[in-house]
Formats: sequence, structure tokens, C-alpha cells
Amino acid sequence: MATAVVPATQDYAGGVLAREQMSLWRDGWRRLRRNKLALAAVFYLVFLVATAIVSFFWTPYKPNFIGACETYASPSGAHPFGCDELGRDSLSRLMVGTQVSLAVGLGTALIVLSFGVTLGLVAGYLRGAVDAVISLVINIFYGIPGLLVALILYIRIGAGLFTIIIAISATIWMDMARLVRGQTLSIREREFIEAARASGARAGKILFGHVFPNALGPIIVQATFVIPIAILTAAFLSFLGVGVPPPTADWGGMASEGLQAIRLQPWIALIPSFALSLTLLAFNFFGDGLRDAFDPRQRR
Amino acid sequence: MLTRGTLIYIGQRVLLIGFTLLVVSFGVFAAVHSLPGNAFISEKLHGESLQAVLHANGLDRPIPVQYWDYLRSALHGDLGQSFVIQGQDVTPLVLRELTVSMELGGAALLITVGMGMLFGILAAIRQNSWVDYTLTTFAVIGYSVPSFMIATLGILVFALWLPTLTGGIGYPLTWTGTYGDIAQLSLPAVALGLYTSGQVTRITRAAMLDVVQQDYIRTARAKGVKDYVVTLRHALRNALVPVTSILGPLIVGIIAGSVVIENIFGIPGLGKEFVRSILSHDYNITVGVFTIYALLIGVANLGVDLIYTVIDPRIRY
Amino acid sequence: MRPSQLKIGGMVLGVASVLTVAACGGGGSTATSGGLASRQVLHFPILQDPKTWDPGRIDAEVDSEIVQNVFDNLWRFDNNLQLVPDIAMQVPSLSNGGISSDGLTYTVHLNPAAKFNNGDPVTSKDVVYSWNRAAALRGPYRSSLSAIAGYSAVDKTAKAVCGKGLDVTACDTTVEQKLAANDPTFAMSGLKATDPETVTITTSTGCGWCLAAWTLQASVGSIVDEKVVMNDPVNWWSKPGGPGVTDGQVGTGAYYMSSYVPKQSETFKQVSGWWGSPKPTLTEIDIDIKDPSTQSTNDAAWEQGTYDLIGYGGDSTQPIADTLRYQKDSRFSSQLKLTPKGRTTWASPDIGNPSSGGPFLGQSDAAKGLRMAFDLAIDRNALATTVCHNVICVPQTGGLIAKGLIGYLGDNADPLAKFDPTQAKSLLHQWDPTGSKTGSLKYSYNTGSPNDNVATFLQSQWSTNLGVNVTLDPHPDASAFIADRLSGKYVMARDGWQFDYNSPQDWFDNLYGSLASGANTSGGFDPVGDAGPDQVTYDTVLAKADAEQTTQALPLYNQLSQLLIKDVVYWPLYQSVAQFYIHSYVQGAGSTTQADYYWNGISIQSH
Repeated sequence: MATAVVPATQDYAGGVLAREQMSLWRDGWRRLRRNKLALAAVFYLVFLVATAIVSFFWTPYKPNFIGACETYASPSGAHPFGCDELGRDSLSRLMVGTQVSLAVGLGTALIVLSFGVTLGLVAGYLRGAVDAVISLVINIFYGIPGLLVALILYIRIGAGLFTIIIAISATIWMDMARLVRGQTLSIREREFIEAARASGARAGKILFGHVFPNALGPIIVQATFVIPIAILTAAFLSFLGVGVPPPTADWGGMASEGLQAIRLQPWIALIPSFALSLTLLAFNFFGDGLRDAFDPRQRR
Repeated sequence: MLTRGTLIYIGQRVLLIGFTLLVVSFGVFAAVHSLPGNAFISEKLHGESLQAVLHANGLDRPIPVQYWDYLRSALHGDLGQSFVIQGQDVTPLVLRELTVSMELGGAALLITVGMGMLFGILAAIRQNSWVDYTLTTFAVIGYSVPSFMIATLGILVFALWLPTLTGGIGYPLTWTGTYGDIAQLSLPAVALGLYTSGQVTRITRAAMLDVVQQDYIRTARAKGVKDYVVTLRHALRNALVPVTSILGPLIVGIIAGSVVIENIFGIPGLGKEFVRSILSHDYNITVGVFTIYALLIGVANLGVDLIYTVIDPRIRY
Repeated sequence: MRPSQLKIGGMVLGVASVLTVAACGGGGSTATSGGLASRQVLHFPILQDPKTWDPGRIDAEVDSEIVQNVFDNLWRFDNNLQLVPDIAMQVPSLSNGGISSDGLTYTVHLNPAAKFNNGDPVTSKDVVYSWNRAAALRGPYRSSLSAIAGYSAVDKTAKAVCGKGLDVTACDTTVEQKLAANDPTFAMSGLKATDPETVTITTSTGCGWCLAAWTLQASVGSIVDEKVVMNDPVNWWSKPGGPGVTDGQVGTGAYYMSSYVPKQSETFKQVSGWWGSPKPTLTEIDIDIKDPSTQSTNDAAWEQGTYDLIGYGGDSTQPIADTLRYQKDSRFSSQLKLTPKGRTTWASPDIGNPSSGGPFLGQSDAAKGLRMAFDLAIDRNALATTVCHNVICVPQTGGLIAKGLIGYLGDNADPLAKFDPTQAKSLLHQWDPTGSKTGSLKYSYNTGSPNDNVATFLQSQWSTNLGVNVTLDPHPDASAFIADRLSGKYVMARDGWQFDYNSPQDWFDNLYGSLASGANTSGGFDPVGDAGPDQVTYDTVLAKADAEQTTQALPLYNQLSQLLIKDVVYWPLYQSVAQFYIHSYVQGAGSTTQADYYWNGISIQSH
């Protein structure tokens, strides 16, 4: 990441500032490493990804196998987290649930990055009418609740991971777009951009070659926060009955099914909720750490 | 304060809100009308007799025509009739539910801002102490645990377990009348406001720390209470800016959260209409609800921007 | 200075009386005498608003179970589902002369004591008016009246009048005007008020199911007050009724609606000096309108004591976790009531709708074989145990019709309810050796409990026992699901039926064959598509059966059952069991397989 910013050849004065940016990265990384909470979060997230990968190939029981154990079974040796209302092993479903959560989080972040960054760059750089139109679209989207989009997509396209990712992306891309627009508006005024324009570089090259890399810090931080928001929203959609369709194991769905049985067998709801909360916490701490690390004003 | 510039700005924003309302209401109208199914079909009512009912309710006309009719009466304050509860006017129903949701949302907002800022201030004053860590962690937990989880656990603890310990005193799991009472409002408001209060805590704490250095506080305290209080007041004022900046998203978050909370606690507000009206094809209620929602957001954002001028005199429009 | 003796005496008396009042008067429902509580108010939740309370139009269970206490019919079903008199003096039969020897004419004498809740007396004119009105409104249950002579003519006239682009309000008003003017085209010729206390009903053919259909509570057979409806044809049923009311919810039942706040609450009050029996004890019914998603909270509120019972008003499918918990909890196990419901659920393969494709279409051996394969791969007992814990449902093994109703084939009498994975697999190998036909099938259903878990279970059964992977197709929008199913847009779908009145006609007329209102519930036999010999046989036999009295008709209805079984038209699953949570101080509450017990039999003991 840090090395990509330094161009092999320096055609214009942009090279000097880019090197400043590079040392900012190194500085930030150092600071991040010293932030213990953020580090712990990183370790947890790595563990999460590992679980997701492992669960592709192996889980203690097949996650959709009805009859692996007694319905509403309490935790035991064979089933460390007990079983759900249909007699499926909770640990296996928890492991498989990581796939869904990560897919939702990363998928949404990807779409938000593509749309939000592009539109933000274009709006901030071109300004004028283009900016006005894009800003109008952003304002209108703010008035559309994600729930409506999710429900309509669900009823029309049908249930599925894709539906949820699109629905959630449609509600949170605006913050990224506004952030990038703001960054672009300020970065475009810097001398090296003027110099680039003066030397005849094309707008696209300027935008993605110079403006974007200089705004990367806040963009990454924002993207890191998109993931927990997406995961949380997906859990809400599952709770309302329009989330990932059965029998796919996803934490939100498991939690909401388990809530009805919480007094009969609390483990069914508590385990995925705990996993969900830990994951959200980890992403939030990580994002905080990133933001503190990249913030030039921080002294520590 | 109310300069010509400000008035022009307000005017522009109002126009923008109006335009947004038109787009949103038509978009929602078209979207729900084009969904398969309707409010009348059942295993007993289908085929040609269903067509007769749809025709009698004007539901077989092209969507733009239906929307035009709807818009004309809506501008006179008549949001149509419910298709599910035959004969009920939507406008008084939706307005009544709106006030209930505002009651809940307002209480949640109070908790969000009040508790959030209080915790943020305390954490900042006692930076890096156990108080700081506890409150900060509490804040992060607030927005990492889904509110339906908090609500369910809250019901478990305060409505069901607590009475067994105290011999009958606990959270009353009911909602009397339209507006309930303070006790009945307490748990839903907390469950709703906890998520956003965490964000307020963190922002307040960060803003206060920005302004008030640790040494400065120590020095101020050493110099005497009056300086200390003055410093705090100054820091507080500064913290209001970033808190106000997220007030818009806060309100959006509370409105979104009310969908789930009203469902769990059975509160007769607007939030539960979000999902229910779409699934039951009560078109007029859906369009009414989402248009009001867009209006609320627009007005809230405008209000927040105007509050900025009060808080930060440098900001002018 | 010492207080005077009078003062001391006064104080002592005062304190004593305060103590007495505090001991005996606190709380809402303490003892008076004979065990009855002083406060006779029933408080319970329901899960949706009323769609309509007009008996001519009601088709939702929540609505009929509420206003069955407001409107009466000529007869009613007692707690054993036997026909007993209500507004009529007796149940007509061949033996008591109420039914003529040719089976076509019913003579009904009305109870002269019968009164509406606003004080108006009930006359035969009200009966004739109510039934003619119900026919003219063309509501969902109007077919209950279809056997009456002159019905088709009225139906046609009403259709022409109301179909001409009139909106709902204008249609209702026009119908009332025609009826008020005694327009003969709006009067069924077979319905006559021979004297103020006698009604004669003549049917055009024999009709064994007619008495039951006319007795369906809060439906087209219910009696409404002509004078009241005339005053507000559109909204009379949504306004409060009661003494002296001229334009509100006026019926002959023991209760009337006194207030309705949409999406919030409904209140019903007792009719004082009610003419019927048993005399009501409850003075008021407070109903909270909640939402299906609040069921767990409602159950917790019931435990807290806020609600007196749960399950009335169509809310009898509770979250299974709560039912299981109460079974195990000594405080609540005696307050849990389980009643089988007249509701069966099955899965329908798409047989008669070519547009959706699928391997089950038509009557070829291959299609039938595959239908059989999928059917035999389902272990109904395991389903009832795993998904329902044998509490909220039981396996359905006696055909389509629920146990306890006429037409039930008998326990384990339905060969389609067998579980035979070996046979299932061999049939699959025989008719789809490559697996290409059954590779990408979908099972469609409307979400909610227990449909989600049933669907997941079925999916795992087909995967384990057949090796076929079926995708689930959940529909959170119930009406979109019904619309799709009725237009045949599915390959396999959840299907079911809840009986209205105890006659096989209610099932066979509505589910299959050309009679099923122009669009079959399940597309099992499509009159347009596969009109093979079985289709014709079904319609002919059904027509014959409907014309006979029930005892003669039964073998014919059983013949229909065998037709459906022979063609593997449905895959039986389970019969629903209703769960009621009723506090022990509530006496007389419960349910038949069809509906809640009436409110006038309920009383609240002191507690």
C-alpha cells in the first residue's frame, strides 16, 4: 500500500508530496502497532477469516444437518455450544455464519467503495452542474430508508446474499461519497494538482493517480466502519424476517430465531449475538485504531 | 442571526425538501403498487370477484393516474384510506402514530444526548482512569450490540427476573392507551437510545480532549474551582459542534431503530408500519409513512444546520 | 390535654375502617361472594386490526371470532360442533318437519324473544333482508347461500350493478337502496318471510351442507338490523352499537362494540338483559391490537398477569418455545390448553399449470412416479416431533380433511402419508435416473412460524432420503404468495385449508375441480389444461355429492378423496394444534376445532 504511492518516475512536483504521504503511512503503521486494542482486534479478525476459510472445508457436523442432536440441547461435550430448535449443531452453524457475515461486510464495502469513491471524486473535481446533480442524488438517497429498499428487493428479486448486499449498499454509500467529495474539494486546490493540470495530465489520471491516493487514509477508515454497519444492518434485516433465507446459517438469523426461545434455551440466541458483538467491536476498535494512527494531529 | 443569507438558505433547503418529498412519494408509490399481490386477495377471494373488488377500489388503473389522484388529495391533507382496515382514513391514523413515535424517539434522543454527553465528559475528565475505560467500553458495547438484543435482555432482566426478586416491582410489560406512561416508556427508550448514545459518548470525549489538555485541567483545578468550571463550560461548548454534526444521522438511526423496538414492545407507533404496511399491501399507509419519514429527516437536517449558527457564530449561510 | 373519648373512639373507628378497606378492597379482582371476581373484565391481545366487521364480507378468522359474539345466526354450533337453535326455535330436520320431504324447503320459526342490542325486535323481514344483502354484496362467503332458489339471478344482477365502475361506497349504497325499495331483482325467490316470526327457505337442489353453511358464525348467514344498516350502509359496522343506536354495530349477540381505536384497541360491552342464554357474566372485553412480531412479548405480559388469556381472536399459534416452557413449568402447565384445529397443511406439486414447468406436470407415469417419490420421502412423524414437538402439530394421516371432521378417512388410512424412503429412491431412479429433471426445484412458502422450520425440514428430508437438493423460496408477503400460488407460479408450494363448517363440501368445493371459484387453490386439476377423464369425474361426483344429504353424500366424498390419492395430487403433512394460555381464574374459555368458545360462557373467578 505504502509503496504503490511512490511513482517509479517523477514527472512532476507531485513526487515530493507523495513521499510525505508515504512517511505518513509508515508513521501510522507504527502507531497502530502500539495500540493494543486495535492489535487485539486485528488478531480476532484474522481468527475470524481463518474460521470462515476452515468452515468451507470442515465443521464438526454439517451445519444444516437436522437430527445431529436433541432440539434445544444444552452445551455438552459433543456439542460445545448446544443445538438449535431443529436439532442442528450450533458450533457448526456459528462457524459457517462467519462466511455470511464476512461476505456481507466485504461485499458492501466493495460496492460502497466503488460507487461512493467514484461519485465523490467526480463531484468534487468537476464541481458545477455535475456536482449539483450528484449532491442532489445523494440528498434524495438520504431520504430513502434501507428497510424499504431491502423489502422491495426481497419481494421482487427474492431472498439471498446478493439482495441484502445491494440493499445495504444503497443506504450507506452516501457517506463515503460525501467524504470523498469533501476530500477532493480540498485536495484539488493543492499546488501539485495545479502543476499536474498545467503539465497536461488527463483528468482521470489526476483523479485516480493523485487525488485518490492522497485521500486514501480517511477512505480506508470509512470503509473499515462500513463493514460493521453492514453486518449490523444484515442482522436487523434477519430479525425482521427479510434477511438471508433459511437454511443458511447467519448470525443475525440465528440470533433472532433464538430470541423467541431465549428463556427455554438461552444459548441459541446468546452465542451468535456474542459472536456478532465481538466482531462488530473488533471492526470498530480496528477502525478507531486506524483513524487515530492516520490522524496527523494525534500526539501519542 | 436571521440574516437575509440565512433566509435564502432556509428557502433553498425547503425547496429541496419539497422536491425530495415528491420524488420519494412517487418512488415509493410506484414501487409498492408494482409488487405482486394486494390487500384483498385470499383463498376465498380471488379470480373474477377479486378483480371486481380491485376495480371498485381503483387499483386497476395505471400507476401514474393513481398517483395523480393520490397527490391531489394528499396536498389537501387527505392521505387516502387504508386498504386493510376498510373505511379507515390514513391521515389521522398516521398522525396519531407519528406522535407516539415522536414520544418514544424524543425520549431516546434525550437519553442519547444526555447520557452520551455525560459519559463522554466524565470519561474525558478522568482520561485513562478506570472510569474512562469503563465508560468508553460501555459506549462501544452500546453500538456493537444489536438493539433487539438489548431490548430482549432488558425485558428478561427488568420485566421477568426483577419482579421475582422484588416481589412484584419490575418493568410493566404493557402499553396503556395511546401514549403509555413514563414507566412503560423507560425500557424501550433506553433500548432505542443506547446504540446512538455510544457514538455521542465517544465524540464528546474526543472533542473535550481536543480542547482540554490534561495538564491544563490539573492546573485549572489547582488554581480553583471557578477556573475549572469555566474550562469545562468552554470544552462543553466545543463538544457541541461535533455532536450536533452527527445529530442528523442520530435521528435517522433512532427512527430506523424504532422499527424494531416498537415491534418488540408492541408500541402503537409509526415504526412498526414500515414493514407491516408493505407486507400487507396497505399502499396509502406505506406512502404516508415513508413520505413523513423523508420529511422528518429533511427537517431534522435543516434544524441541525440552523443550530450550527447558534453554536458556532463563525458559521454563516 | 386529653382528647375526648369521642375523638378517640372516632379515630379508632376510622383506622379500623381504613384497615378493613385496605385488606379487602385493594387490587382489581378480589372476592365478593361465590368465587366470582368483582371486576368481570377480560383482557387479551390480538395480532391485527379488523379488516371488516360486516358479516356479509368477513373472511378473516380474527374478525369472525370477535364478532361471533355480536351477531347471531338462525342456529349455532355448540362446543361439540353440533347444530343447536339460536335465533330460530329449532334446528329443522326431516323428522320434525322443518325440512320438507323432498328436502328442498326449510321452515324456520324465530324466537319471539330475540332482540337486537339497540332494542329493536328481530322479525323475519330482518332475516330475509340479511341474506339477500349478503348475496348482493358478493363477499367471499356468498357461496354459502348458492343453493337457495333465485341466488344466481341475484348474483348476476348485483354483479352488473356493482361492476359498472362504481366504487365500494357507491356499490354499498346502491345495494341498500334496491333492497329498501324491495326491488325483486335483489330478492332471492326462495327466501320468504311468511309471517313476522317465520321464514321459508327453498333450495333449488338438495343440499346436505346447507344448514352447516348457513350457520357459519359472523358470516353471510348472520342476521343484521335492516333499519340500522340503511342509515349508514358503508360504515355502520365500524361504529359502536348498543342501546338506542341507530347506525352502528347492531346485532343480536350478547356483546356490542363500544369503542375502536385503529391499531390500538377494541372494547366490547355486555348487552344488559340479553335475550339469549347462557346469560353473560363478563361485563367488558378489552382487546389490545398488537402485531404478529409481538407474540413473545404478549406471552411474557400474560405471565406477568397483564393479560387474562392468549389465543382468542385467531392468535392460537404461539411461539413453540413458550409452549414448551409452560409445559415444563409447574406454575403454568395447568394453564396451557391444547386443542386440535380443523386445519391441515400439505405440500402441493404443480400438476396443472404448464407455465411453471417442473417435473410434476400432468398425468404421465413419469410425473406421477416423481410425485410419489417426493411424497414418500417425507417422514411425517419426524416432522411432527422435530418441528412441532408433537405440541403445535400432529401428523396428518387420514386424507385432506382434519381429524374429528366428517370426511376424515381414519388414522393412517391415507397411503400418501406413508414414509418409505426405499420406494421413494427407487421411483426417483426409475423416472429421473440422471437427476436432470429434479436438479433445480424450489419449494415456495409464506414465512412465519412454523412454516420456516417445516420448509427447512422438508428440504433436509429430500436431501437425506432422496439425494435431491431443493432450494427454499420464502415469501414474507403472504398475499403475494397466495397470488402466485393461485396463478400457478410455483413447482412445489405449501398449501393448506382451515374448515369453515363441518362438511366435506367445504373442502372439496374450494380446493380442486372446476367449481373452485374459477381458480383452483392448488392447480391440482386445471380445467383448462389437463381435462382428462379424472377431471370430469371429479366435477361430476362432486356435483352429485353436494346435492345429497350428508350421510348419503359421504361415500361420494370419499370417492373424491380416492381420486386425489390415486393421482398423488397432494403430499400430506400435519394437522395444526391450537395453543391457548388461560389463567386458572378464567372459567369457560377455550376452543372447538372451529372457533373460540363464546364470551357469554366465560367468567372470572376471584384471585
